[in-house]
Amino acid sequence: MDNYRPAIGTPIEQLDTPCLLIDLDALDNNHAVVADTYEGKICKMRQHTKNIKSPRLASLQIRAGGTLNGVCTAKLSEAETMIEGGIHDVLIPNQIVTDDKLKRLAALNKQGDVKVTVDSTENIEDISRVAVDQGVTIGVLIEVDTMMKRGGVRSPEQGVVLAKLAEKLPGIRFMGVMSHQSADGWPDSDELMRLSQYYIGICLEVKEAIEAEGINVEMVSSGETFSYATATEIDGVTEVEGGSYALMSNIYGYLDEFQISNKVLGTIVSTVGSDIGIGDLGMKTLSTAAATDASIEGIPGASILEVQDEHIYLKSNEHKFEVGQQFMVLPGYQDHLINRWDQYIGVRNGVVEQVLDIPGRGCHH
Amino acid sequence: MERPIYKPIGSPVEELDTPALIVDADILNRNINRVHSFFEGSSALIRPSVGVHGCPALAHMQLSAPGTVGGISVETLGQAESFNSSGIKDISINGLIVTDQKITRLCALAQNSTVTVSVDSASNVQDISNSASALGVTVRVLVAVATRPDRLGIQPGNPAVELAKLICNSEGLEFQGFRTHEGTLQIDNLSGLSQDSMGWINQVLETRNLSESAGINVKTVSAGGTYNYEVAGNTDGVTEVTAGAYALMDAKYQGKRDGLEPACKVITTVTSFPEELKIITDGGNKAIGMDRGAPVCNEFPDAVIALSAEHGNVNLANPTSREVVIRDKLWFTPWDMGVTANLYDYMNVVRDGRLESVWDLPARGRYR
Repeated sequence: MDNYRPAIGTPIEQLDTPCLLIDLDALDNNHAVVADTYEGKICKMRQHTKNIKSPRLASLQIRAGGTLNGVCTAKLSEAETMIEGGIHDVLIPNQIVTDDKLKRLAALNKQGDVKVTVDSTENIEDISRVAVDQGVTIGVLIEVDTMMKRGGVRSPEQGVVLAKLAEKLPGIRFMGVMSHQSADGWPDSDELMRLSQYYIGICLEVKEAIEAEGINVEMVSSGETFSYATATEIDGVTEVEGGSYALMSNIYGYLDEFQISNKVLGTIVSTVGSDIGIGDLGMKTLSTAAATDASIEGIPGASILEVQDEHIYLKSNEHKFEVGQQFMVLPGYQDHLINRWDQYIGVRNGVVEQVLDIPGRGCHH
Repeated sequence: MERPIYKPIGSPVEELDTPALIVDADILNRNINRVHSFFEGSSALIRPSVGVHGCPALAHMQLSAPGTVGGISVETLGQAESFNSSGIKDISINGLIVTDQKITRLCALAQNSTVTVSVDSASNVQDISNSASALGVTVRVLVAVATRPDRLGIQPGNPAVELAKLICNSEGLEFQGFRTHEGTLQIDNLSGLSQDSMGWINQVLETRNLSESAGINVKTVSAGGTYNYEVAGNTDGVTEVTAGAYALMDAKYQGKRDGLEPACKVITTVTSFPEELKIITDGGNKAIGMDRGAPVCNEFPDAVIALSAEHGNVNLANPTSREVVIRDKLWFTPWDMGVTANLYDYMNVVRDGRLESVWDLPARGRYR
């Protein structure tokens, strides 16, 4: 674990590297885009904190607006960090199955409102048993598989069976349905709408089948960064689980209203000739997800030749590399990147403005 | 920070909060014995490379085994500081240390430890010398030799020898020798591996000979790793091998090095079994990592493993006759332990299926 807390006002050029920067202007821009998009809409943002792992950053979006004052977390221990960080309303769009964890989920519902998604009858029965035992009521949503091929019911009929059970059992409050999907490539706005309608439509079919049984569906939690705007135009969606938009990454470049706000700062430690520079960060600090489709800022014409475990090889035909020069890596995909760091160094106008811990890092329980 | 539910010592491993990093103490001991016994009888000694696990308890265990040089090697200065505070006083740093503030930290570390750093340029030698002499400390220096022309390091032969001369004449520095760390894991047979390894190692040995004939004493020639430790360790002139993966092992090395077995795995819980050929677990990419390759599911070795960020996807080749229910445990052997250990704060040591101790991994994330 690192604990790097450079003094406020330190110029970027004097930072020890590698370190993880947040461009605070870009972050503010991204929060404002979401606040504007959801202004006056029934559908609201429920920011997915798997991508930021910081209750402070989640609070900034809540303050900026556009949210329902709650967040998503991928894991139960991540939910704890959000509750401890002052967030009250948390949805865990994932299955919590062991008794140990269910007891902790129940206990967390004494501190906040922590909902979970389910996809099997036995899981619903277990949640009910533990919730009754602990004297709490736990909100559940039915997870619908629309394309990710992970957990989730595969048909409206399965959804109805689970909703009926959830309605019947004590200790459980049936809340609604949830789905997550992804988009490949570089879709234009028409394609984004088509994909959103198609996949979210699968989730809405489950909602309608449940409603046809006379069961009220309060929440439809569907949509993510690629569909953050289109989902608000689809009737029935009550909230969107956007994660990537706040820090952003190259693969979402087609959403050019957002800016990449997370960057890894490195230093050239060796050169091969003058057109290849070797930097002091590698796959361990970046992850494959972030290294794939990553780009380089700060060195003219620089591209990535190779990412080794501890080093990155950069090439430029427009620039003579020198030992000691700094550069920044903009992630291809940022989710896994954040999970490898202990602090964000928030910078504005070229100097450190704040240092933020990342308490959700490593919260895979 | 990892936040597992606490379990008392003696708990059955299946009761641990998942996903969790589990070390089998017996297999770990066998791996360490196997490699360290080799170095007891070889011409070179081992300098355990501990950046792969980040665990001081394990580093001390490796240093207590025979056949070592009495110190460790790490990748970064931050790791060196972390292991130093656990009481290890002989540390060699593979990464180049070039900025003023890092050089100051390096020299501060040399005030209470024997610190060796790698260099590949005259200006870097000058900078470290200036700082070391100002602080009145001695920093040991290895010349990093690029045994491939497009790699980090200085070219073998005369350029490396010239740099060695400069180090010998620089205040605050003590020239140790040369190091290289190249090689190809993909070669399975020992003769092919030997031929490949000697291609790299001979360049360093020739550089050493050139250096000695120029009157410069070379104490250290560091070459090789887990993939070729027998080759490097038995080569006359090689004095130390910086191997690390041998202790915990991983799927990448499994079956490639005789007598070494994976000692460290990730235990996960089945959270969903939505299709006949698909099992979902709570161990995804953030908990196992697949930067360099997919892990192997021990219960279903033929399954195709896809890790999304938060979920493990076990895609079975055929319907399983084994009964699988939600809450079952599945074990994964990571492809590359260096990737996986860097995702955890704790390593759970297990013997005969029960929790024996929990080791901290304080050097995790020490990239600076």
